[in-house]
Amino acid sequence: MTSALNLFIGLAMGVNLVALASSRLPSIIRAAALQGMVLGLLPLLLEEKFHWLVAVVAVGTVAVKGFVIPGLLRRALRVANIDREMQPLLGFIPSLLIGAGATIGAVALGGALPLRPEHAHSLLVPGAFATVVCGFLLLMGRTKAITQVCGYLILENGIYLFGLLLINTTPLIVEAGILLDLTVAVFVIGIIVDRIQREFDTLDTTKLTSLHE
Amino acid sequence: MNPGWLLCIAATGMVVGMFSAFRAPRLWLLTSLTGAIAALASAIWILKTGARWDWQSSVAIGGEALHLQLDALSAFFLALLAVLGGVGSLYQRGYWTDKTHPRSAPSGRAWWNAMLLNMGFVLLVANGLHFLIAWELFTVCAYFLITRERQHREVRQAGWLYLAASHAGTLCLFAFFAWLAARTGSWELGPMRDRTELAPLFWLALFGFGLKAGMFPLHIWLPSAHANAPSHVSAILSGVAIKMGIYGLVRFSSWMPVPDAAGWTVATLGVVSAVLGVAFALGQHDLKRLLAYHSVENIGIILIGLGFAMVATAHGNAAWGQLALAGGLLHVWNHGLFKALLFLGAGSVLHTTGTREMSRFGGLWRAMPWTASLFTLGAVAISGLPPLNGFVSEWLVFLGLFDAVSARGPAAWTAVPAAVLLGVTGALALACFVKVCGVVFLGLPRSKVAEQAHECGWTMRLPMLVLGAACVAIGLAPVLFWPAIASASSAWQPLWTDSAPPAPMQTLGAFHITIAALAMLAAIGLWLRVKRNGLSRAVTWDCGYAVPTPRMQYTAGSFAGIITGWFSWILKPKRHQHPVKENFPAHASYEEHTPETVLEHVVEPTGSVVMRISTAVRRLQHGRLQAYILYLLIGLAALALLALMGGAK
Amino acid sequence: MIATFEVLLRLLVWLLLAPLLPGIINKVKAWVAGRRGPPVLQLYFDLAKLWRKGVVLSTAVSPGHIAGVAVAWVSLVCAAMLLPAGPSGAPLAFRGDALLFVYLLALARFCTASAALDTGSAFEGMGAAREVSYAVLGEAAIITALLTLGLQSGSVSLTTMLAPAAGAGAALLAAGLFAVLLAENCRVPFDDPNTHLELTMIHEVMVLDHSGPPLAAILHGASLKLLMFSVLLAEAVLPIGKLSPPAAAAALAGSVLTVTVGIGLVESLLARLAFRRVPLLLTTAFLLCLFALLVAWKGGHL
Repeated sequence: MTSALNLFIGLAMGVNLVALASSRLPSIIRAAALQGMVLGLLPLLLEEKFHWLVAVVAVGTVAVKGFVIPGLLRRALRVANIDREMQPLLGFIPSLLIGAGATIGAVALGGALPLRPEHAHSLLVPGAFATVVCGFLLLMGRTKAITQVCGYLILENGIYLFGLLLINTTPLIVEAGILLDLTVAVFVIGIIVDRIQREFDTLDTTKLTSLHE
Repeated sequence: MNPGWLLCIAATGMVVGMFSAFRAPRLWLLTSLTGAIAALASAIWILKTGARWDWQSSVAIGGEALHLQLDALSAFFLALLAVLGGVGSLYQRGYWTDKTHPRSAPSGRAWWNAMLLNMGFVLLVANGLHFLIAWELFTVCAYFLITRERQHREVRQAGWLYLAASHAGTLCLFAFFAWLAARTGSWELGPMRDRTELAPLFWLALFGFGLKAGMFPLHIWLPSAHANAPSHVSAILSGVAIKMGIYGLVRFSSWMPVPDAAGWTVATLGVVSAVLGVAFALGQHDLKRLLAYHSVENIGIILIGLGFAMVATAHGNAAWGQLALAGGLLHVWNHGLFKALLFLGAGSVLHTTGTREMSRFGGLWRAMPWTASLFTLGAVAISGLPPLNGFVSEWLVFLGLFDAVSARGPAAWTAVPAAVLLGVTGALALACFVKVCGVVFLGLPRSKVAEQAHECGWTMRLPMLVLGAACVAIGLAPVLFWPAIASASSAWQPLWTDSAPPAPMQTLGAFHITIAALAMLAAIGLWLRVKRNGLSRAVTWDCGYAVPTPRMQYTAGSFAGIITGWFSWILKPKRHQHPVKENFPAHASYEEHTPETVLEHVVEPTGSVVMRISTAVRRLQHGRLQAYILYLLIGLAALALLALMGGAK
Repeated sequence: MIATFEVLLRLLVWLLLAPLLPGIINKVKAWVAGRRGPPVLQLYFDLAKLWRKGVVLSTAVSPGHIAGVAVAWVSLVCAAMLLPAGPSGAPLAFRGDALLFVYLLALARFCTASAALDTGSAFEGMGAAREVSYAVLGEAAIITALLTLGLQSGSVSLTTMLAPAAGAGAALLAAGLFAVLLAENCRVPFDDPNTHLELTMIHEVMVLDHSGPPLAAILHGASLKLLMFSVLLAEAVLPIGKLSPPAAAAALAGSVLTVTVGIGLVESLLARLAFRRVPLLLTTAFLLCLFALLVAWKGGHL
């Protein structure tokens, strides 16, 4: 059980680095979607016995994070006719190296934290830390609105991983609510992206500083 | 005959040489060489027997009785000093002659001997006060040797920077020795490992000795000093003088207790020096400046070895510590040998072309086959490639790091990045020396001076041959040199008394000999085959271009461009360009140089802030007596207030 | 006597088998493209022909131009002697030979890059600059891979290091080493061995001015290097030491063939990367090896 779980979380940690290294918008959207789907399946692995509510949430998460949100983003990309190459503030290799450093640091930190024995050998906590840091790196190091959304999605995935630690105590309805919020947020951003593009002819969020007055 | 007498001969030779330097250059050469050989003999004696020579005299200097001692650790460094001092003496006979430098050559010889003598004393004295005196004298002698061409502004600046930086280091050492004397009640030095309260003093020593060794970021003085000194002086500065810093660190980390974090710090500084030293070297276009930055790199490799040896001692004397220390110590010798060889080679090039600018060279192998081959030999050695000596020492350090990782202890967390970055350093050094050899010696001459170059005389060739032979010898038969390393490392850590090499050096040596022999056979065989099949000559293929000119060759800057781009965050290269604009471009130019970032972005801004504050303070000193009396009054009042407050308590 | 004979026999096997690999790759590429392609033994014919041909040397070159080729070839052959050939081990195994292996490859690189600068051609200078620069990242990946293997086996000798299987991180290590293999042997997506556009090449552009027997030595050395890397990759992943000798030999041969076919497929299906993307891919290779090391490290505690 733990090894399958660790395999999935390891995969998600790898996807973090893929997202940091990708230089084109479609590939970063694909990375965020893949990560969402991989993590969406985790509740099924965590529960000892099958519960229909867990299954519903898992299916819902996979559907929303893997298909709905990326679909919305791709639509925004298409409609706003955005240049697919991105101009990073922080180069790809430095962000990749920092992300890898954060991942290793997270594993080391996970070994040092006083965790409950059932979590001591799982990658849940290191994975959550690494994913949050990589999400922040994307938010800080990229300029386009779409990449900001993807960074936010990855950040949310990290928080979701933390949430899995408490899966037995958190009502699943809260999870479902978060998922709904996320979808609405992405939906709204999709509209905003379109408007920014029409107004400024660019999606570079650094240009938004001219809005401060 | 014992080491004492040999050392006596050596010192006498140096002193006689110093006085005969002005009138009798031949006598000077003879006595200096005799001195060097005698010193080498005494060092070999000690290294071979592992004994310790100790001599206490009743003569007091500065109120302290003179106490000299030569143990394996001192002898290890003394051997290097003797070899490089000897070959450097011979080299300057052809390089810095009375005919070409009538004013600076005679006094240069005298300063040379004075510096060698004082470096010898640094290695021999066992008294803090005398150590400081010898250290200061050697620093000052080096200043006068660096500024041989005082008429050039650049040289004067380099000299001042060296002197200022060295004194910052000496200040720390002064504090270190004074503190040590105050705590122990005596200036006498010796093993005092059990006095743990002395451990924090190590940081002072690390700053003082690290500055002399040129570790990053205290290396600011090193590139300009080594580049502007005459080449035989650059060779001894790079080969031996910066090793005095290493000697200090090695010596006092063995005699004194060190803080827990010392090993990690030294190793980290070593890794940083190694990688950034070679990165800065790649950005240089001045041949000698480039070599100077490689000293920073190699000091880094030595420090990695020493640092991990210290980590090992802190973790129960793990056996991999001995490997790391052995690698670091052997690298002291190796770097001394190949770096001196490279500087002497660069000196020969400079001697005939009069410039250090690499973009003006090219194709020098035609005019200077000896220099070209020997420089290439040194380049292969410094890149750490088998079958030469550079590989042997890097291999030992690598083995230490690999064992530290396999041991899965806490050391592994640093050993992994250190090993990876040591590999990266090797590959970067390789890139850098392919660039140097390719741009300076291969291809076609890029300028008139390169076309008119000529080979240097035998007084300059022989020293390079000796150094090259030493590099080959250590590479092909490393096991012969193991006893020396073993005695030095057991002088550092008495628990490491293994007389058998911890790594299969004999097998490595045999493999190296096989490679060398096979390579020679294959080269001859291929050449014969080519001869038999028929050989014709044509111009280099340039994509069908009809009239290629030497100016179209790849330059040093473009060759290193990819890597300097990766490191541009710290190299901060300055570019001046007029790009091609019109269809028939008349003028286009591109110029690039890599400044010393730490100096320009850290030291100079700090200096100017200090300057501004001190200028503000200087306003208090304006020469008006009335105001001075006011200061007196304020001072008195303040003192009185202080006394009152103190009394109240 | 027998020992000498054995070494010679191994040497002969390495030298004779090496030119087979490029032939297989080309056959796979031709098969994917729907062509007949050159015969598998094409490189043997080429080498035999080149060995008999005359040499045209540039007027700019030094005597080191030909000597460099010879030294590079010898260092590759010596490196091959350190690599265990399946169940029979290596002719020479000692502590630390893994590092000697890496540095022998570096010696070959020094010689070929210097020989390229020797001609004074700007194109060859470009190729040499790329070769030595990208090798920096490749070196980091190889050292990390060796650290992984060393950590698993507790040894620094290739024969012992490559005996056990790579454990949990095998997939990561294999992917990392495969990327290094592609980069070090100048295959797509790092370099295109088929192109003749000097501006875009790495390895092929360095050898533009070689001809006749020296070119044969270079081509043979390149194929030998490819074979070495394939064997290294296969043995790093396979538990060679645990299998019976015939099984090990079969597994090794099979996996080398798989790697070769894999290279062919990669070359057929991928395009060459833009140069500015090459460092990113090599950094990824390094990180894959680094994570394999991490898995090996954690594996000891779980």
